[in-house]
Amino acid sequence: MILFDKVSFSYGSLRVLRDVSFSIGFNERVAILGGSGEGKTTILRLIVGLVKPDSGRIIIDGEDISEKSEDDLRPLRMKFSLVFQEGALFDSLSVKENVAFCLREYTKMSEEEIDLKVRDLLRIVGVEHAADFMPEELSGGMHRRVSIARSLAACEPRMFLYDEPTSGLDPVNADTICRLILELSRRDRGFIVVTHKVSDALKVSQRFIFLKGGTIIFDGAGDEFLRAVDPDIALFLNEVRLGTS
Amino acid sequence: MDIKALISNLQDFYVLSIRGLAGMVRRPFYWRDTLEQMDYAGAGSLPIILIVSLFVGMALSLQLTAELARLGLKMYTGKIVGISVIRELGPVVAALVFTGRVGAGMASELGLMVLGHQVDTLRVFGVDPMKKLVTPRIASSLVMLPALTIIGDAVSLLGGYYIAVFVSHQSGTLYWSSIRRELIFENVFAGALKPFIFGYLIACICCYTGLSTRGGARGLRRSTTRAVVTSIVMIIVADFVLTRILLYVLGFSI
Repeated sequence: MILFDKVSFSYGSLRVLRDVSFSIGFNERVAILGGSGEGKTTILRLIVGLVKPDSGRIIIDGEDISEKSEDDLRPLRMKFSLVFQEGALFDSLSVKENVAFCLREYTKMSEEEIDLKVRDLLRIVGVEHAADFMPEELSGGMHRRVSIARSLAACEPRMFLYDEPTSGLDPVNADTICRLILELSRRDRGFIVVTHKVSDALKVSQRFIFLKGGTIIFDGAGDEFLRAVDPDIALFLNEVRLGTS
Repeated sequence: MDIKALISNLQDFYVLSIRGLAGMVRRPFYWRDTLEQMDYAGAGSLPIILIVSLFVGMALSLQLTAELARLGLKMYTGKIVGISVIRELGPVVAALVFTGRVGAGMASELGLMVLGHQVDTLRVFGVDPMKKLVTPRIASSLVMLPALTIIGDAVSLLGGYYIAVFVSHQSGTLYWSSIRRELIFENVFAGALKPFIFGYLIACICCYTGLSTRGGARGLRRSTTRAVVTSIVMIIVADFVLTRILLYVLGFSI
């Protein structure tokens, strides 16, 4: 369980989150929506302890992580698999080496075993043909898929965290990523997907959190979200209505 | 910049410098990364060090020969070239070239990794960026800059030899024997210590500046420029301070 208790956060003088509170179970499928600069990505960064809140508590599995040191945060981070926007692949390593990174770092697997595991993971995300490519040779969609494969190799995560997984992708690639996100959440592993694309969020999520002005203005299920009357949410929903009309 | 931010930055720099160095004696060891950095810093910098050192040696020898000839002291060319190159010019020139090529590369590479969330990815995977990124760069600088300095010194002396013998028509034997006489412990020690200090300074400054990159392409340009400028200034300042200390410790009278 992830619990945010009156969490506030600022970048310098810019207040991004104000007394934000929510709780999310590890098996939930949640979309965090909102405009640019509303603090969506910051919430993901706070969950894995990449940044610390100015005030409030963040409790993961009963442990308050707000004041934990970098060393203490390492085991906690292994509960999550965070896929950054644009993939954040190591650009000096090939696709194969990117996926093998954590296997080499944390396991005593032989090179043959690593190679088999890497090929298996690349097959799951549908890019096994790109094993020897360098990151700059990949398209946007392949980038994200390799990044997902790499995060799967890192650990057996209890929850996936996706930061704008479909932004900048064409509809076909965006749909592939959405299907992959759903596929990976099958074994009772939930996810939080941060996005500003309502159509993609509706494809994969059950619960919707909407941020505006650093606070949560909506937290509920998909059907309630579609009926929301708040003008800011309505603006976002126009994307879906225009798409279906 | 306000005082609070300045102190905070200095504290972060101090922590990076200490933890980066301490990483060399604490597991895990990233041998592959260290060797890659050594290859980039050492083998990659060799051609430019050779060219720069050769011309510095020739220019120095030319200047000295012209001046000493007027005083009838041309036979001291080797001695002065030797002292200047071994104690002063060799380490400083190698460090400046190293900053321009390797230091700028470190800052921009790490800056790009920060902007592309690659450093955050390392942290999420439980990898200490200090050990994975900073320690190999410090280690490679501590090994490769002294090595490059020694090679650069030798090439500078060769450049000086060429001018002394083929342009100024002096005796080659006299040139080398006067240099050999200057290869005493005090001179060699003074020249050998500096590259270690310079290498450590360059790696720490450039890694710190690279890892503090914020704000897109403009931020990357700013941090790379700051890394190079700060390193150059610190090399020159450290050179003066070290020279003063070494002259005192090694018993040279001024």
